Amino acid sequence: MSTTWTQKHKPQTLNEIVGNREAKQQFLCWLKSWSKGIPKKRAAFLHGSPGVGKTVTVETLAKELNMELVEKNASDYRTADAIKRFAGLASQYATLFGGNRLILLDEVDGIAGKEDRGGVRELTNVLKTTRSPVVLTANDAYNPRFSTIRKYCLVIAFKKPTIREGVSHLKRICAKEGIAADEEALKFIVERAGRDVRSAVNDLQALAQGKTRLAMEDVAWLAGRDRKEVIFDVMRTILYSRDSWEAKKAVSSADVDPDMLFHWIYENTPYHITDPHDLVKAMDYLALADIYRKRIRDTQYWTLLKYVIDFMSSGVAVSRQRTKSSGWIPFRFPEKIRMLSRTKGERALQKSIGMKIWKRCHISATRSSKEVMPYLKIIFENNPEMAAGLSNWLDLDEDMIEYLAGNKKQTKTIVAKLA
Amino acid sequence: MSYEMWAEKYRPKSLNKIINQKEIVDRLQSFAKAKNVPHCIFAGPPGTGKTTAALCLARDMYGKGYREHMMELNASDERGIKIVRETVKTFARTRSIGEIPFKILILDEADNMTSDAQQALRRTMERFTETCRFIMIANYSGKIIEPLQSRCAPFRFSYMSKEDQDRYLRNIIEKEGIKILDEGYDAIFEVSEGDLRKATNTLQAAASMGKVIDTETVYSVIGRANPADVNEMIKTAMKGDFLGARKQLREMILKYGVAGSDIIKQIHTEIFRSMLPDSWKVTLSEAIGEIDFRLVQGADVEVQLSALLARMTEAGQELKRGG
Repeated sequence: MSTTWTQKHKPQTLNEIVGNREAKQQFLCWLKSWSKGIPKKRAAFLHGSPGVGKTVTVETLAKELNMELVEKNASDYRTADAIKRFAGLASQYATLFGGNRLILLDEVDGIAGKEDRGGVRELTNVLKTTRSPVVLTANDAYNPRFSTIRKYCLVIAFKKPTIREGVSHLKRICAKEGIAADEEALKFIVERAGRDVRSAVNDLQALAQGKTRLAMEDVAWLAGRDRKEVIFDVMRTILYSRDSWEAKKAVSSADVDPDMLFHWIYENTPYHITDPHDLVKAMDYLALADIYRKRIRDTQYWTLLKYVIDFMSSGVAVSRQRTKSSGWIPFRFPEKIRMLSRTKGERALQKSIGMKIWKRCHISATRSSKEVMPYLKIIFENNPEMAAGLSNWLDLDEDMIEYLAGNKKQTKTIVAKLA
Repeated sequence: MSYEMWAEKYRPKSLNKIINQKEIVDRLQSFAKAKNVPHCIFAGPPGTGKTTAALCLARDMYGKGYREHMMELNASDERGIKIVRETVKTFARTRSIGEIPFKILILDEADNMTSDAQQALRRTMERFTETCRFIMIANYSGKIIEPLQSRCAPFRFSYMSKEDQDRYLRNIIEKEGIKILDEGYDAIFEVSEGDLRKATNTLQAAASMGKVIDTETVYSVIGRANPADVNEMIKTAMKGDFLGARKQLREMILKYGVAGSDIIKQIHTEIFRSMLPDSWKVTLSEAIGEIDFRLVQGADVEVQLSALLARMTEAGQELKRGG
């Protein structure tokens, strides 16, 4: 079976959607009110954490009320231009009977802010004038960037279902799939998924597909089998065996992603191979492995992978010559990966500020991050008035201002002066 | 309340407002007067007025609507052959309406263009000379391929003298009503080394603190504006602290977005300035060259430079031993 269970067992009626009784009712009332003419709030804003059933509620209700659902993806309404393009859709009466169309703007979290301040303005216009019901969904409607939009919307909060509700949803699926599942096991899955129903269903599929029984042992195994342990074993062999064959064998038998393993080895090697002479050798081999990783990426010749493995396993193993053992040293999670994900948003923001500077200052975004931004930071930290003026001049949004100002308080002061 | 970056607000708007670079300005003015410009290369260190000169030339020549007759492209954001194929060609081949039959294309940071893109430019430049003149701006003209250089009139910009920089800053200081001590001027010149953009940005950041600008203010600005320091990293490695040095490297790359090529360039300079024995300098230089080449090929900056840091750690240890 190639379809995912989240698709296959998608709720068909409003009742089948777990939890959020009140929210669903509120949304239903609002939708129905359209039959008596255009209501005061022409849009509804459903918000809540991922996998609580926002989108599925909209889809199900549209079906139940026999409405035509027009769904727009994040990419369709990121910018003012894109919004203008579909605004026409909202301005018409949908069908001869009127109001029979439902427009869904899913996951608006991505809108505006960074790309286009005009986007919010344009969207607000649509919300004010639409003749068909518009539904927005987002993870957090109280994000400041939605403050204007919110005024024109009926805001409906979707909460995480209780564990009981989550379990009952999984039970329904198990029944349909002919799986006899222990309550305990299902409870474990729901808890582990953080009450995100979608991800719980995905986990259930991974664990139970093709089985007729699902017991606690089947599930608990998942928690016990920590991939870290596998990686640690491999690394112990590489860093301490001094044996090229052993090291190589450890990697090939471990069945872990070689790229991930590379990062683990690269992170941990200098903690364990401490003699500078040994370290030069080990780091040289890792650099060589990196070159081959790059060659694979470029050419897609995966046969080259064996050399990556040679250098990062055997290469590092035989580098250990003069280093003395110095007791137990814990293995660390690759800091580079941690930092990459932590600084990802920051770098994207830097880039978008860079583009703003580029538009004004005849300097590339790349260079501006070094030659202009550091000075802007100092100004934004010290002088809210000058900062506000510069924000206007550069057309910065609040996220960008906060990045430069360094903290929320200063950001507020600057934004207050903007108006 | 109106604030701009002063570096923009006080950027000269006409060739005759440019201080320094006298010979260059003279020649450019004669171009503007004749309403004819050859392809040009403006080469020289940052903040010496290359972009300004190009913009002024366009403005002086076309007058008010100059923006319609020129395009500014930034090679480090949009480098690559695709840009040359698409953007540049489309712009270059359409004829300009008006008295002057050609447009001007300013290619900023052209030394960051890949050599493939530069090769592609070669033909474009020749084919569309009638309708488009190129001004290529670069820090190092050496990084521009020979065939392009030979098609262009070269202009070499040099650092601003202290008198000229002070004169320029004084104008801003008077107009913005800033209080500054004489030592402030000296400090700004010392840190900017004749880079006028850096000088002006430093001045504005210092002024934003709202105090009389003295040596200390200037240094606190510079200290905060350059948090990631290649020198510090080298020192850490030479001291034997590889892990510390790798951490600094990581921050430079991931937090401050410093380019690998910039880091390696600086390492190379520093190694030869260092106290290392000559034989070590050459050994390290060999490693640096290899890694520089790998980075050009697109290898991982941190992994590659870490290998170099390991070598420096080793060198530092040998040095301590007196080897």
